[in-house]
Amino acid sequence: MSSHHNDKATFLERLIFNNRPAVIVICLLVSIFLFWQATLIRPSTSFEKMIPLKHPFIEKMMEHRNDLANLGNTVRISVEAKDGDIFTKEYMETLRQINDEVFYISGVDRSGLKSLWSPSVRWTEVTEEGFAGGEVIPQSYNGSPQSLDQLRNNVLKSGQVGRLVANDFKSSIVDIPLLEAYPDPQDQGKLLALDYQKFSHELEDKIRTKFQEQNPNVQIHIVGFAKKVGDLIDGLIMVVLFFGVAFVITLVLLLWFTNCLRSTIAVLSTTLVAVVWQLGLMHFFGFGLDPYSMLVPFLIFAIGISHGVQKINGIALQSSEADNALTAARRTFRQLFLPGMIAILADAVGFITLLIIDIGVIRELAIGASIGVAVIVFTNLILLPVAISYAGISARAIARSKKDANREHPFWRLLSNFASPKVAPISIALALVAFGGGLWYSQNLKIGDLDQGAPELRPDSRYNKDNNFIISNYSTSSDVLVVMVKTKAEGCSRYEAMAPIDQLMWKMQNTEGVQSAISLVTVSKQMIKGMNEGNLKWETLSRNPDVLNNSIARADGLYNNNCSLAPVLVFLNDHKAETLDRAVHAVQDFARENNKDGLEFILAAGNAGIEAATNEVIKESELIILILVYLCVATMCMITFRSWAATLCIVLPLVLTSVLGNALMAFMGIGVKVATLPVVALGVGIGVDYGIYIYSRLESFLRAGLPLQEAYYQTLKSTGKAVLFTGLCLAIGVCTWIFSAIKFQADMGLMLTFMLLWNMFGALWLLPALARFLIKPEKLAGQKGNSLFAH
Amino acid sequence: MSEPVMGWVVCRPRAARRVALLATALSLFGAVVLSTAVQAASDTTAPAVFAIESPKAAKGLMIDVVHAGKRLVAVGDRGHILYSDDQGSTWTQAKVPTRQLLTAVFFTDDKQGWAVGHDAQILASTDGGATWAVQYQDLKREAPLLDIWFKDASHGLAVGAYGALIETTDGGKTWEDVSDRLDNEDQFHLNAIARIKDAGLFIVGEQGSMFRSSDDGQTWEKLEGPYEGSLFGVISTAQPQTLLAYGLRGNLYRSTDFGSTWEQVELNAARGALEFGLSGATLLDDGALVVVGNGGSVVVSHDDGLTFSVFNRPDRISLSAVTAAGNGNLILVGQGGVRVAKPTGAELEKQ
Repeated sequence: MSSHHNDKATFLERLIFNNRPAVIVICLLVSIFLFWQATLIRPSTSFEKMIPLKHPFIEKMMEHRNDLANLGNTVRISVEAKDGDIFTKEYMETLRQINDEVFYISGVDRSGLKSLWSPSVRWTEVTEEGFAGGEVIPQSYNGSPQSLDQLRNNVLKSGQVGRLVANDFKSSIVDIPLLEAYPDPQDQGKLLALDYQKFSHELEDKIRTKFQEQNPNVQIHIVGFAKKVGDLIDGLIMVVLFFGVAFVITLVLLLWFTNCLRSTIAVLSTTLVAVVWQLGLMHFFGFGLDPYSMLVPFLIFAIGISHGVQKINGIALQSSEADNALTAARRTFRQLFLPGMIAILADAVGFITLLIIDIGVIRELAIGASIGVAVIVFTNLILLPVAISYAGISARAIARSKKDANREHPFWRLLSNFASPKVAPISIALALVAFGGGLWYSQNLKIGDLDQGAPELRPDSRYNKDNNFIISNYSTSSDVLVVMVKTKAEGCSRYEAMAPIDQLMWKMQNTEGVQSAISLVTVSKQMIKGMNEGNLKWETLSRNPDVLNNSIARADGLYNNNCSLAPVLVFLNDHKAETLDRAVHAVQDFARENNKDGLEFILAAGNAGIEAATNEVIKESELIILILVYLCVATMCMITFRSWAATLCIVLPLVLTSVLGNALMAFMGIGVKVATLPVVALGVGIGVDYGIYIYSRLESFLRAGLPLQEAYYQTLKSTGKAVLFTGLCLAIGVCTWIFSAIKFQADMGLMLTFMLLWNMFGALWLLPALARFLIKPEKLAGQKGNSLFAH
Repeated sequence: MSEPVMGWVVCRPRAARRVALLATALSLFGAVVLSTAVQAASDTTAPAVFAIESPKAAKGLMIDVVHAGKRLVAVGDRGHILYSDDQGSTWTQAKVPTRQLLTAVFFTDDKQGWAVGHDAQILASTDGGATWAVQYQDLKREAPLLDIWFKDASHGLAVGAYGALIETTDGGKTWEDVSDRLDNEDQFHLNAIARIKDAGLFIVGEQGSMFRSSDDGQTWEKLEGPYEGSLFGVISTAQPQTLLAYGLRGNLYRSTDFGSTWEQVELNAARGALEFGLSGATLLDDGALVVVGNGGSVVVSHDDGLTFSVFNRPDRISLSAVTAAGNGNLILVGQGGVRVAKPTGAELEKQ
């Protein structure tokens, strides 16, 4: 079985193995520098990186960003009374203390802070003399039953039910606008940027924990972009823990596999070096760690281990023949460097195709992963054999591998039946059925995020529970599509603009999946009604420009400074792709009919607008990515093996995996989204390794003149264990993500685990069956062949 | 009693024509720059824009509801006109050539009916409310018509904002502005017009203004009303010469002599005097009177308006008008559309 390597050393091999100390020293120096770089890397969550900046929706949103500013960054704390309603002395006192406490948290825009205790929250009513009004909680409030009764009346008259006060009067909200940058308390001249994580922790400690302990009858719910980002960063940090878990499991498996502490340490440490280099280089090139690129180190670790295992396996096999560790390492290098390179190139090609997706985080993931696999060439294909050439492999491990090489393996013998003429047709038939079934079921696959609430976090996370509480108790929805209505300066309050806006709102409200819509027209109608003594007969737009101008005076945030842009906020039931599509199409139809000089209806802002844009980009990219990645992988195989049959044997099992992966996503209710789109490319890119390793061995045994089934048995005996182990390593590396608090990381983990395991299975099961039909062993036998591996 | 008014009291803009002043004041806040050029909407006849048919129409703002024979007809926002032939269980949207807010509807029999609304529009139907045609509109007014009354198929009167009173004697083919028949120097809004049993026509309006006519609207007498605040409606009771006028903040007055003298009717809700504005009323076949208003107020009298029981619906929605469903129930319209209610105004129990 060791018959097919020759002893002629290549230039590269001589360069490396004749200068082993230099290789070690250079790697050490590079590692020190990159380790220093890696320690500087910081978690960064940039909003802009997660969205397709080139999409017209997003371009328009960015263009009008300043005009939409005050729609933005607020946190809402809902204080719930567990027993009874909010009209008790104790509840109101806790609410007052929370209001005061929030006031002093850094980053809060104090002037905009709003709760029942704010003087700006007023009630109004129409009397014979005119409008009357006052603070909802008057100066005379003292907590007595009378003043609580008065408070209840004031709340009813304030119009805050459904906004600051829950529809069931069992909770009320503290509304906190945030400043992205606020003056440093020490040095008023300096501006500090809002630290979302710190802010989120302060809310937890100073508000939630403190007041829930102080008043056991209240429950606190917090929602808002800042809180969500804070929770995401916390989730990121937990991922480091997963890395530790994956590391320990891998260590144990490696020990079991190699039976040798020295080589285990060698593989683990060179792989860690790869991870450090990758992180260092990421920072060196100016990237941070976001929730997506956070996963690259796991991938690199897993890929590094799998190549290391191939190397160790090879060296152990060689050691049984070679006199010393150096010779064994050199021979292994000679034998495995090329397939290793090809496999890594295939990985890199898979990653690089992701660059065509116009979303920052995916591009960074692609760049990070490509850098990572490039690094593996140095660490695991070069540094590892050099290191082993010094350290050697334990005698016990060599003895075992010697024994393994000679004894009969019933398990591999059994598996080799996959190549038998009886089993192969059944396998092919089964695969066809699975392919057809998968294809049929994956019709249910949806685009976009399918869960309620913040899709980044798990549906049962505290944030999403809080969010559900607020959605169900207040008249608001968390999925908002914003249509920007652009007019000439001072044009937004003209009847010619407001009447069409009103029409648009009604059209949207009549669109399935839309809950409600608000804009300056909503405020205007209410004000006009108010100016007419609350008479419903006046609740409509006036043609009188003065009346209209006056009516929007208090519609803060619903038009910009020079009245040239007015957002229409469309609240949706959910953010499923069909809901977004319907809403977007309704707006586009309306815009086509009503856009004219000086009046434009522009899509889109709001979280639903961003998601609609993202979905469009993903829908466009999905097929392209799939075609590209398969084209690249197939080309790689063609170059390597110069054979259609070989290419089909390797690629077809991957296609089955992709189809079944889609079916699994449909079954699990995971949509195609920013997080799951890369999985296709990653899965195929990494999955092709198995096929390349197995087929290259199989071919060499066929050339040696063995019949197919026997050749496959020999292949399994030599690399089967390594392939099996590789599959496990990769799966373990990514499956820890399934437990991530961040929903999309969990989805990625689940899908990658499935694809990596199934790719391995496909390579072991389907590849030999296909070979039975596609390859004529008698043609190959004795031939030198023209593949890259034929020396 | 009524609770003390705390905080601030600002001068009420009595009518939109005075709004310009207020607008100037408010613009000091810097939010809005007034555009001075008044662009009158063109009066040229554009192709008719029909109200959009929508299943949500019955849940949108509805302002008035009346009977056309046995059929119920309701009008409201965006040119929505709905009719029901099954006591309000299901509603059909009529074909209406406008998208403006309609404020009142009146039928003389089961076929002939008229509706008024913003842009001073008057619509007419000759098929019991299923289809409608525009008879009149006046965009330059920049003001709505607020109520309409017809004596028969040919003679009718409509009232509206800024003292508008217009008349037809040919079933609405032509309309004539007869506002100067009223002594209404300040051009107070005229909110409602009604015929009082065995007496004549009665108009109520802004700032307690009242007018009566004994000759079907040819001549009008101005009355000194009992109340300074705005009156939103007026209705005849089953007794001759006896009527109710109602308006802001639960104010309800009763006269037994066609408006010469008035007495306030006290409305006591669960937590003291009713404070909500009253906007619509109906006289049921058995002589009972139902008045509805803001805050889900439904007040009912079984003694020709001498005393009332007060009910506030828990949903607190603003109600605009009421009529009998035809089977003992009531039809309420207002915010949130049309709804069927028990004779007390309470929500029907779900079967």
